[in-house]
Amino acid sequence: MAVLSALPPLAMQAGANRVVQGIRIEHVCGDPSQPPVLDRQLRRQLVERALHALQTPVSGPTLFTVER
Amino acid sequence: MLRIGHYLNQFFGGVGAEEHANHAPERREGPVGPGRALQGLLKDEGRIVSTLVCGDNFFNERAGEAHAAARAWLGDVKPDVLVAGPAFAAGRYGAACATVCRLAEEGGVPAVTGMHPENPGRLLHRKAYVVPTGDSAADMGRALVAMLPLVRKLGRGVPLKPAVAEGYLPRGVRRPGARAGTGAERAVAMLVAKLHGRPFETEIPVDAYEAVSPAPAVPDLKRARIALVTTGAIVPRGNPDHFKRCSETRWARYDVSGLDTLSPEAWECVHGGFYNRMASENPNLVLPLDAARQLERQGVFAELLDFYCMTTGNDQRLLDCRRNGMEIAAALAAERAGGAVLVAT
Repeated sequence: MAVLSALPPLAMQAGANRVVQGIRIEHVCGDPSQPPVLDRQLRRQLVERALHALQTPVSGPTLFTVER
Repeated sequence: MLRIGHYLNQFFGGVGAEEHANHAPERREGPVGPGRALQGLLKDEGRIVSTLVCGDNFFNERAGEAHAAARAWLGDVKPDVLVAGPAFAAGRYGAACATVCRLAEEGGVPAVTGMHPENPGRLLHRKAYVVPTGDSAADMGRALVAMLPLVRKLGRGVPLKPAVAEGYLPRGVRRPGARAGTGAERAVAMLVAKLHGRPFETEIPVDAYEAVSPAPAVPDLKRARIALVTTGAIVPRGNPDHFKRCSETRWARYDVSGLDTLSPEAWECVHGGFYNRMASENPNLVLPLDAARQLERQGVFAELLDFYCMTTGNDQRLLDCRRNGMEIAAALAAERAGGAVLVAT
């Protein structure tokens, strides 16, 4: 399980072990202020990072981020 | 007369509802909103000299700026005690209140807040003095009365007794002391009570949020079936199963076979804990089906499950969270899912 969250500290304190930094509370998986093609690219990067997290061995709550 | 600083979010500060959750920290003179009721209870014992109002999204997403503003406010106001909230079941507000309490304490200012015992905000500062409240502002009157003794004691520097004696939530702090009877006697008494179905009080409460052993890494993603899950309350438009905006107990699965994206015509977001207009205009922002399908087509993983799972993760009781989580996991396991991506809001 990889969690995508705009507030990783909360997710990690609650015990989630693979946490990906989302964008904003209101739009975790993208940025509607961007042109649609960039929003979709960002969403794809976030899901890819979540899939990367699934393949990464971790020993406790671990944060994964996408470079912007 | 105690000098009191009060922290409020955008709603209780009178700025507005969720659409104003990005409101930047703003100082107001004197008591605001529920602060006026608190001031009424305090009478001449104390004066709320200043109120800091900040949007819940701002405080949590722009933490650096928000913390700096709170510290500066505390430094200028120099209160004898900081009161935050009460936040009831509002998670981001609870997180902000707990954090402001921590910042105050780090600066030498005692602090007290109030929130529902299951408010996840408590996780951010487990040593905060938290007065338990109900899960909605219907409890405001009672909550303020319950917070008052702690406001007084903390403001005056009176040492506090254990949680159960003073009316705050246990903070996991243990102090050496003598109990009546030996440990063996107390343990046997507890066991006898338990066997008879009588109530008993544990001496070591188990933490509500337990550490979870990480699942092993997915060994071969290309062969894995992937599941999408969200607590962001994405539902078919019209919300046929009547998912609640908050305090929901159930979860559901919705079929997405053959769909490349979640269109706003067919889907919507009914989560009541944040301004959900953008999520309803593009549900992929909370359930990223379009991106997942792209990656599926490119063979990054074997395939997506035919359905996604959802609930409304807004003021959901931990008992329901645990049960829903276990049932969702079982449903995904039955479909031989190798991994899941859960979008939390």
